[in-house]
Amino acid sequence: MRQRSLVKIALLSATAVALAACSNSSSGSSGGGGLTGGNSGGSSSGKTYTIGFQGPLSGDNQQLGINERNAVELAVEQANAKGDLNFKLKYTEADDVGAPATAPPAAAKLIQDDSVVAVVGPSFSGATKAVAKNYADAKLAIVSPSATNTTLTSQGFSTFFRVVPPDSAQGTQAADYIAKKGKSIYLIDDTSEYGTGLAKDIETELKVKGAKYVREGVADTTQDYSAIAAKVASSGADVMYYAGYYSGASLFAKALASAGYKGLAVSGDGSKDAQFIAGAGTSGESWEFTCPCADATVDPNMKSFADAYNKKWSTPSSTYSPEAFDATNAIIDVMKGIDGDITREKVVAGLKTVNYKGLTNTVKFQANGEIEKAIVFLYKVKSSKLSLVGTVTSQI
Amino acid sequence: MNDFIRYTIAGLTLGSMYALIALGYTLVYGVLQLINFAHSEVFMTGAFGSYIVVDTLVGGHGRQNGFMVVVVLGVGLITGALSGAGAAWLLERVAYRPLRRRGAPKLAFLISAIGASFFMSQLAGKLFNRQKNNSFPNFFDNRVLFSIGEADVRLLQVIIIVAAVVLMFFLDRLVQKTKLGRSIRAVAEDAPTAALMGINIDKTISRTFVIGGALGGAAGFLFALFSSLSYQMGFFPGTKAFAAAVLGGIGNPRGAMLGGLTLGLVENWSVMFLPSQWTNVIAFAVLVLVLMFRPSGILGERLGRAA
Repeated sequence: MRQRSLVKIALLSATAVALAACSNSSSGSSGGGGLTGGNSGGSSSGKTYTIGFQGPLSGDNQQLGINERNAVELAVEQANAKGDLNFKLKYTEADDVGAPATAPPAAAKLIQDDSVVAVVGPSFSGATKAVAKNYADAKLAIVSPSATNTTLTSQGFSTFFRVVPPDSAQGTQAADYIAKKGKSIYLIDDTSEYGTGLAKDIETELKVKGAKYVREGVADTTQDYSAIAAKVASSGADVMYYAGYYSGASLFAKALASAGYKGLAVSGDGSKDAQFIAGAGTSGESWEFTCPCADATVDPNMKSFADAYNKKWSTPSSTYSPEAFDATNAIIDVMKGIDGDITREKVVAGLKTVNYKGLTNTVKFQANGEIEKAIVFLYKVKSSKLSLVGTVTSQI
Repeated sequence: MNDFIRYTIAGLTLGSMYALIALGYTLVYGVLQLINFAHSEVFMTGAFGSYIVVDTLVGGHGRQNGFMVVVVLGVGLITGALSGAGAAWLLERVAYRPLRRRGAPKLAFLISAIGASFFMSQLAGKLFNRQKNNSFPNFFDNRVLFSIGEADVRLLQVIIIVAAVVLMFFLDRLVQKTKLGRSIRAVAEDAPTAALMGINIDKTISRTFVIGGALGGAAGFLFALFSSLSYQMGFFPGTKAFAAAVLGGIGNPRGAMLGGLTLGLVENWSVMFLPSQWTNVIAFAVLVLVLMFRPSGILGERLGRAA
């Protein structure tokens, strides 16, 4: 009896060791993530430099982080394979769970790794706010593919850059677009922080334009949208903008269709999601979305990126993957132009003057780190599929 | 005027679903003097139960012909009612009967109800998903059936109102005329005396839960068809239906029906005059006003006497 339980324990521990070995080797193959990533610091004399990534790789919001991480790694791999670098490029990552509280240790990990010369990320605005100062003190550049909070570039973080336009740009351009499309506008927000923020930016611009509009808030916990849908339909509005997330938008789309609303329905980046189409069904047909995000799966210009991504990760690229790809390639572009040893300071200086033509936009920064040209894309649901219409400015 | 008709139709649709759910609260309160806070999860179970069956039947097959639509609607309503009834039966067995046997204080029932509610909601989240906007397959065309003035009445609205009215009619007959109905009323009136008269109290209570659960489950199907289904879908309709039961007079089935319809109508009418953020405020303000003047609800309490 005793013998047998001993055998069991031995077997169990053997399996545990084997499992641990497996997870080690898999993280190793994904570019030396985890604790082992620090080792690459020793080889900086052999002209090996590391690009770090900070974002959520676990927790509720991990999908966004993974979308970006995969693109960063792909860019690093492609740069090495191309063979025109006079140094070797490595990749490392730090998981910040997307939260301000867990961001500082993640940032510390990258800052303390001497081989890291630039960082893509952080993914989220809150996490960025929490660590941008630490990075600035370490003179380490951070290029975010997705932190869109408007105030980030007005706080004097000297090493912060982002390749996406701020939230306010989407609001302004969306307002210009709907003001052009309709005489009477119904603006609805879902009362979330994101929804009210976007609606406020839209409202500000609508006032500037002198457009006729009504604004109303409908809580995102609402399940019955028939009353507000009837109100929109009978208000005679010919354009409706919904500033909120896809879960509310899809229910609202169904109710609007039932209420017989015939006008144009537009929503923002929070609703541009496959889940919107899944939830709204045929009622979501011809809804439009403004989004500062590029979508490689629907944009023909990004086909080679989308294919390479799909091949490497066996999953289609998703939200903010192309932006992360651009951010990484812009950093690599800067590194290529540096004479002699590459240092963190030289990368920051290089980013201030970079002019790199990426997939989503030309990466060229203003003095505060904001991307020079704010591009907002317009998407439309056609035959239950999302398709790219073009940039919003091209539609105005 | 057209607007008024439009909101009235929407209000009746929503109100008849509230009424169905409210009946579950009121029936259980009648026999146990207990608010079954897990009833909102019975409602959710009905939605998911019917979803599984309907999705297997017509998921991904697009729109069906008229005959199939009727069949699927019938199947959905029945499976919704069965899942709701099953959940309610189990709930009574697991969460309430052991407490009753041991003569636990009223507060223990309340805690048990809240615990069961959390458990069921989280279980559904784990078994299905945590998306907020799952929908039924799109198996029928929600077309305009007829118009009153310029206000369109759509197929789904008619389905919901008709189904709810039929169910409520049968429930009313059941409580008034049948032997089971009489025993439910007797237990509500005076449980010890009813027991002396040869009524099996345990059985009656269990059956009351099953009837309330069936109505709640059917409402779950209708509501999911009308809006969406999710593991948290029970909370708001459940709270509103509870308010509706109190509004009509808790313990009184006809009161629950009236309360549900009133609440649905008030909510929708309020949107005519005020931004829709005010909907809940108005609904509960009406509740408070009514209770100020009629503390036991519009039709008064007591299942036994008033019904």
